[in-house]
Amino acid sequence: MASTTASHATPPSLSLPPSQFARLQPHAYLLAHLSPPAASNQPSLRANGRAASQFRVTSANAGSLTHTNGSAVVRIGDTAAVCGVRAEILNTEDIASWSVSHASDEQTDDKKSKSEEGDTDSQDKEDRAHIQDLNLLVPNLSLSTGCAPGFTPGAAPSALAQSLSHQLLSLLHSTRLVQADDLRIWYQPPNLEAEALGEQMDVDSEESGNPAREIKAFWVLYIDVMIISLAGNPFDAAWASVLAALRDTKLPKAWWDDDNETILCSDDIADAKKLSLRGLPIASSFCSFEADAAAGWRSVIIPDAEEQKAQEQKQKKQGMQQRWVLADPDGYEEGLSQERACVVVDKENDGKAKTVIVKMEKHGGWALDGDDMRQLVDVSAQRWDEMKRILDQC
Amino acid sequence: MIGPTASLSHLHRADGSASYKCPATGYNILGAVNAPVELPGRRDALKPEEATVEVFVKPGTTTAGVGERYVEGLLRSVLGKVVLGREKGFPRRGVVLTLAIVGGENIERGDSYLTVFPALLHAGLLSMISASVPLSMTFSATLLGVTKSGDIVRDPSPAAAKAAVSLHVFAISSKNHLLLNESEGRFDFDTWELARQNAVTICQGSSKGSDGDVNMEEEKNASGNGFIRETVEDQIYSDYVYKLDSI
Repeated sequence: MASTTASHATPPSLSLPPSQFARLQPHAYLLAHLSPPAASNQPSLRANGRAASQFRVTSANAGSLTHTNGSAVVRIGDTAAVCGVRAEILNTEDIASWSVSHASDEQTDDKKSKSEEGDTDSQDKEDRAHIQDLNLLVPNLSLSTGCAPGFTPGAAPSALAQSLSHQLLSLLHSTRLVQADDLRIWYQPPNLEAEALGEQMDVDSEESGNPAREIKAFWVLYIDVMIISLAGNPFDAAWASVLAALRDTKLPKAWWDDDNETILCSDDIADAKKLSLRGLPIASSFCSFEADAAAGWRSVIIPDAEEQKAQEQKQKKQGMQQRWVLADPDGYEEGLSQERACVVVDKENDGKAKTVIVKMEKHGGWALDGDDMRQLVDVSAQRWDEMKRILDQC
Repeated sequence: MIGPTASLSHLHRADGSASYKCPATGYNILGAVNAPVELPGRRDALKPEEATVEVFVKPGTTTAGVGERYVEGLLRSVLGKVVLGREKGFPRRGVVLTLAIVGGENIERGDSYLTVFPALLHAGLLSMISASVPLSMTFSATLLGVTKSGDIVRDPSPAAAKAAVSLHVFAISSKNHLLLNESEGRFDFDTWELARQNAVTICQGSSKGSDGDVNMEEEKNASGNGFIRETVEDQIYSDYVYKLDSI
């Protein structure tokens, strides 16, 4: 009897299946993957099988939604973001401060565009004035889709969703990705009578032959991102989807109809124009994983930065790495690390010229320093090439 | 250049409070900390072994929006790492920091939040110290703007910050760690590194020996960490002045 039960119910072994170990001791589980025993000859890999600076498999698909002006689905591993861009018309008559603040700019702008197109400096200022002051870009990110267990579907936007929306907007503004000129709807009044000319006379005598063209309306782009599945690193996926959707966006040809006094749009697809974007900024996120789970709080006296660095290098020489910087962390890894970094880079001239950093951020710890950030920029530059290929294909 | 001013513990209902004013950027921040407090929600599902740090930012003229949520998240991650949340009496409790932007330029939707960020960090840290929250280190922060000609300007005014090619915020701990970096604009790595070194000098004071004793005093004042230290020293001095008098 005793022997049958022993053989029947397998002896209570002391080992656990890996999946259970991963839940019970997440930190030790990831650490065991990253620092395998020297005897085993295994490479240092993350629990998800990636190398430390390897990103997840990324795919992008543009133009999936038919009712939008531009849309894209970007999937990075198990994180998927859908982005739709919808353009709506904002009449200048509906802008309360328009006649006061911009009537004068308009004419100077008109003159400028005739004289020199390449004056990027003042053009930038114009862009900022119109896009930023009139809020022509309205991104919103929603996490309340049942994307992850922590977010109840249909709930109010969480703090994370709100801060991601802000990050998207401020990145759109600081990179000046969208050109304000694409969003303007102009009207050239016909040169009919002399009374109209009389008003313009004092402005510029050379232009008096032609009445100045004026902005009648703007396109406002509502950029909505839905994270339909969240497995870590929502910002990279969201930004890539915004970028892909904007590249896909086509605005119909629109003009001011003087007889009807409204804006009319052409429904001919051949007339629609794509947005011309400035550059291709690509975001890459990282997290730093510490071997010592208690590093942040157990030792009340934290060593000086130089001391800590020397210590780290010594340990590295002995083959005991204490810290790993993981690219594109998944949800499991994000839960195990507090220090985050994000680098957004762009390359001028379609990747032939040097790398430009557009945004860099790092918070939540003190392990990453200048040298680490340099490496992260290099990794992000490589990621740029990869993402460009993916976005060009979609 | 006029240095910042700060004062500690002038709110009576809060456990700790501080006000911080930076004349260069024009921001005036009032901070209050209550710690440790029982939080209304059941927080066991989060990290029960640590105190939860909560940060609320209130802009001067409007209600808090998405930008404030973002800044709150950043402040939480910086301060949450510095606060020793496992000290006696802190686990399962909350450290609640409220920061009100009392004076300074309005930050509108989609504007960069970097200009006000160092002031928020300083006010938050001083409030924490005023409430005697145990911290593993102190820090100081600085805002640097890179102009079109490549010059690095310290604490640019809101107008100068708008015109700058890139803006950088660095928080350097009292032990020279890089605690936080936020940079935006267009720049390359060498510019960033230069700005970082500048920030270390500003926060720590120059490591080089100074030439005269007048300079010494000034330099001590000028460094960010020195400023935090002096503010706290002054407060302690005025708190214990009755003891000194009785000696």
